[in-house]
Amino acid sequence: MFIEFFYTLRERGLPVSPTSFLRLQKALSLGMIQSVDDFYTTARAILVKSERYFDMYDQVFAQFFRGVALKAPDEIELTEIVKALLEEWLKNPEQIAEALGLDASELKKMTPEELIQYFLDRLKDQTEAHHGGNRWIGTGGTSPVGHSGYHPGGMRVGGQSRNKSAVKVAMERRYKDYSQEGPLTEVQMSEALKRLRRMIPSGPKDIVNVDKTIYETMRNAGEIEIIFDRRLSDRLKIILMIDNGGWSMDPYVEVVQTLFHYARSQFKDLKIYYFHNTIYSRVWQDAERRYKPEPIDDFIRKDPEARLIMVGDASMAPYELIHTNGSIYIDEVEVGTGIERLKFLAKTFRHAVWLNPQREDEWRHTFTVGMIWRVFPMFELTLDGLEKAVQHLMARH
Amino acid sequence: MTKDNNSFRGGSKYILDDELAKVVNVSIALEMPLLLKGEPGTGKTMLAHAIAESLKMPLIVLNVKSSMKLVDALYQYDTLTRLNDSRFGDSKRDVSNIEEYIRMGKIGQAFVSDLRTVLLIDEIDKADSDFQDDMLDVLDQMQFDIIEIDKTITARNRPVIVITSNAKKDLSDPFLGRCNFHHIAFPDTGTMRLIVDVHFPNLGRDLSEACIEAFYRLRDFKGIEKKPATRELINWIRALKTDPEMHIKSLSRGNAPYLGILFKKSADLAAATQQSARMR
Repeated sequence: MFIEFFYTLRERGLPVSPTSFLRLQKALSLGMIQSVDDFYTTARAILVKSERYFDMYDQVFAQFFRGVALKAPDEIELTEIVKALLEEWLKNPEQIAEALGLDASELKKMTPEELIQYFLDRLKDQTEAHHGGNRWIGTGGTSPVGHSGYHPGGMRVGGQSRNKSAVKVAMERRYKDYSQEGPLTEVQMSEALKRLRRMIPSGPKDIVNVDKTIYETMRNAGEIEIIFDRRLSDRLKIILMIDNGGWSMDPYVEVVQTLFHYARSQFKDLKIYYFHNTIYSRVWQDAERRYKPEPIDDFIRKDPEARLIMVGDASMAPYELIHTNGSIYIDEVEVGTGIERLKFLAKTFRHAVWLNPQREDEWRHTFTVGMIWRVFPMFELTLDGLEKAVQHLMARH
Repeated sequence: MTKDNNSFRGGSKYILDDELAKVVNVSIALEMPLLLKGEPGTGKTMLAHAIAESLKMPLIVLNVKSSMKLVDALYQYDTLTRLNDSRFGDSKRDVSNIEEYIRMGKIGQAFVSDLRTVLLIDEIDKADSDFQDDMLDVLDQMQFDIIEIDKTITARNRPVIVITSNAKKDLSDPFLGRCNFHHIAFPDTGTMRLIVDVHFPNLGRDLSEACIEAFYRLRDFKGIEKKPATRELINWIRALKTDPEMHIKSLSRGNAPYLGILFKKSADLAAATQQSARMR
């Protein structure tokens, strides 16, 4: 019964580890769980580690404990879980030992076969112990749904839960909102970008350097000599280049704006430039791309340690990238191709990434994305993508 | 559920929901840390205070900072005082005994305490993932070494550990594997009524109803990044109470003063002011 539940959870993509499953068994054997309600809450606390999966858990739970009879696990399932258990055991014997209630040294003496046997025996205990527990599921009848149906619109949270069975609660799917990936907010951005910093000593010398103080004091024959250091502070330079032209970027304006606002408030040394589709001979400091141009060639004089972040969908007509004079603007007389400009930038700044607001699986549909991808490491403009990008930016190359 | 004195049933100023009570009790029984997530202001930190109060255990709070190293949370070796003592020798401490210069950090205090304690590790998401994983190692084994004096500190009593996180993103897998997890949902109106009653026992029924109703209406405003939470509601009611010109009727008519208490971001406040003006 529980094993099936465990596997259904796994099948639905919930990352449930065998260790946590064993822990649930332990909670059962401690007598902590006496009703389906208890089981619902406890199993969730032990098995599910993120509110994003709560909704999925609710669905599986509702489907599973709705008037189903207890059934002994069959052979195949058992071998499966034993396999998973063994894998876990190899990785982390102590945890398994603890979960099984064994001493780690005892466990080490066991052969894998013995371990499996021990586990199976225990499991049999478990099902038998709860066979009185055919009623375990639903004290007032086979279906736990029935026994508390008198308060249909009642509340779950806040001590009024007794009016409702766990299955019903599960069926309400209270956590639906958490399962969806919302748009990237500034808070989330700050989480992802938090590690983007470079600490350099600056400001007044007001931090005691203990090691040096002791060393200098000893050199001074015990006369105390306190050595102060400068405080470390963030001196990371960031160059942010945003593609703000063309209809292809329109759907992403909001998320790019959030990034922009966050960057503006957070990074002390930040330069923002704008371009359209790709970079030709210059970029602009003003969003209209008209008044304050800056030649790309000048970027060679900037600090090569600065982090360059390009934001754009990297989608354009291929000729814009490959042709000399590829620019779609008549007044730009170009020397060199767009892709060469990009390569120049990538070479000037060792730490550079390209953030693409398009989803990664859409990238290969556009020819130019692939080309730019080969020049800049490209990441999705999502939480995960940002995190990877930051990792890349902070790595020592 | 065990109904002895060791099970947790809520504090005097804390409305405990049933689910959470179960999770807390299971975590105590399984001796596992409990990881709490939820919107800011839904009482994650308050829970630890409530547990400590109800189980009559001392509470030790470790406020995690981004620059924190694990060893800071365990113990500190006060080298400067020792240096000073060795130079001037006017203290009662024995300079040759390093142990006198070791001070316990918050986790260390929880370990050496004679009583069983509640250890609250607040806002774990601020620290980097190495800190988180290493800390869980220490909490798992319930012991750590003080290298300077080559001594192992083992927990006398296993503390009840509550960890809170504000992060939207998940913590690392090994970390999660060792914790029980609960997400505190935003309370519904019924629970909120109880919470308000606990905090303002003398507040009239009509006024508290009007406040709560207005609050949930304000919470539903569109385009708000940081929605007001329980904490903001409590502060708001406190402000309303001090205002002699406040009338229940005007509140239920959609006239909500002191929006700045509820909406903390300037963009949010602007949006809320605009929308509440339109409602009137």
